[in-house]
Amino acid sequence: MNMAWKEMKKNKMRFMILGSIVFLVSLLTFIISGLANGLSQDNAALIKDLPDGQFYMSTEAEQTINLSKIDTDVQGKLLNKHKEAVAFSIQMGFLNDEDEKQQSVAFVTSTESQLFENVQKGEVVLDQSMQDKGIQVGDSLTSNQYSGKFIVKGFSDQKKFSHAPVAFINTEDYREMYRATEMQLIFVPGKDSPDAAKELEVFTKKEFLNTISSYKAEQTSLNMIVWFLVVISGMLFGIFFYLMNVQKMGLYGILKAIGVKTRTLFKMMWTQMIFITGMALMISITLSQVLNMLAPKDMPFHLTLETTRQLSIVFFMIGFIGSTISGIQIKKVEPLHAIQRGEV
Amino acid sequence: MTLFTIDNVRKTFTNGEVKEEILKGVNLTLKEGELTALVGASGSGKSTLLTIAAGLQSASDGKILFEGGNLTEMNGDQVRKIRASKFGFVFQFAHLVPFLTVEEQLLLMLDVSESKINKTEQKRGIDNILTLVGMDHRKHAYPSTLSGGEKQRVAIARAIIHKPKVLFADEPTASLDSTKSRDVMTLLRDLTKSLNLTTLMVTHDEEILSNADRIIKMSDGLVLGR
Repeated sequence: MNMAWKEMKKNKMRFMILGSIVFLVSLLTFIISGLANGLSQDNAALIKDLPDGQFYMSTEAEQTINLSKIDTDVQGKLLNKHKEAVAFSIQMGFLNDEDEKQQSVAFVTSTESQLFENVQKGEVVLDQSMQDKGIQVGDSLTSNQYSGKFIVKGFSDQKKFSHAPVAFINTEDYREMYRATEMQLIFVPGKDSPDAAKELEVFTKKEFLNTISSYKAEQTSLNMIVWFLVVISGMLFGIFFYLMNVQKMGLYGILKAIGVKTRTLFKMMWTQMIFITGMALMISITLSQVLNMLAPKDMPFHLTLETTRQLSIVFFMIGFIGSTISGIQIKKVEPLHAIQRGEV
Repeated sequence: MTLFTIDNVRKTFTNGEVKEEILKGVNLTLKEGELTALVGASGSGKSTLLTIAAGLQSASDGKILFEGGNLTEMNGDQVRKIRASKFGFVFQFAHLVPFLTVEEQLLLMLDVSESKINKTEQKRGIDNILTLVGMDHRKHAYPSTLSGGEKQRVAIARAIIHKPKVLFADEPTASLDSTKSRDVMTLLRDLTKSLNLTTLMVTHDEEILSNADRIIKMSDGLVLGR
């Protein structure tokens, strides 16, 4: 007999209250997680969307991208060794549109590679978000640091860096603007072990992302909120089932006296936990995915199904741990005490 | 025929350095189809004896012999299996599961006893037992809607639905008024006879003793007379 279901059916309100709280906490977790992911994309989609590989920066830069200068000989050797490798530089700056309206962008230039947009001198390829601001292919854009004009050749999807849309420009133009002869970074795709070079510091993608100013601070605080919410939901389960179990100690004792296995009582509690979590997650996943689809473009919200799946598993695990810890009392309850204590 | 033997059972509780012997070597045999009443003053050890016999607590010494086995030598799970399949329990309070209907209380007991009978037979068995205890009209009622006497009748039905060999009743009428007490006692006696149960009952209530086949008086942890 499914006692878990019978109890939930008889005490709908009690279980609905718990379910509602789990739903709200999980929805908030999904939303915060979506925002964390969205902000992460907004901050570093240019880097995040690259394949796995090794990033190189000059050792002297001490993990600051802006200060990195890779010696051209060292760059040449590395690019010769790895044909698919690319050297690139990133600098924050401004572009003025045809109405003289200033737009903040991240200028990116690179050696020829399929991983970055390759543009001719005087041309620019912009992130898609610039199109939403009214810039069209063929528009002429200016920069205070550049003597000529940039002609917009096209748009690239999801290329952001440090919360600014990326503007891919030619290396010659970049040199003129920033008076830099060396590239800042080299990226070697693939998971091979890194090349040891005294002048270069090597980073995995995850390590490199953390060198981007604000990225680590932003993600750490948002992820802390996410995990805090997950822990709260675990505690909710623990406290709820603890209170329920305290109320039901007499009943558990009587059930044990008539021969019900302790395992059966635990299964009953776990079934209820799984049902409540499952229902709450189903609703919160649906709502968060609707938000994912309907969120305005300006809102940095990006909730993948993979993140949703992982968080859901964590919710089930934490619910299981919370309820099991509180259920230890079930194991301890003595049938005799329950009988002597009176009516359940 | 003797079904159940309590052989020189002792129970000692230790409270700090003080040892208190509650049962001082009790011997008792229970026969099939017989209702045995244990009587005695508070603290005489009668409830302790019943709970030890029912496998709800362990004895300090002695044997509880049932169907060729000694309960005092069995592990917790072996005793639980016997409680679930061979014993029935009626307590002072009905102790019904609040979220199960009358019918479901009995179905639960059949589940617990790992009864092999099919669903149709289970339903028929439940209907028969509920008719026997006069509760067939409240089959779908929840415990909160039943009177004290009705609850105790359901508790009795739950105690016998899986056809146990031994029925343990600990003050089954203590929470009922005198009319309901008489009804419940008559029911226990009739069931003992009709189902050939071996019933051991603890009671304070002298009015209901006329229903017992044997009356065992206990005092100070010893059986005084029968």
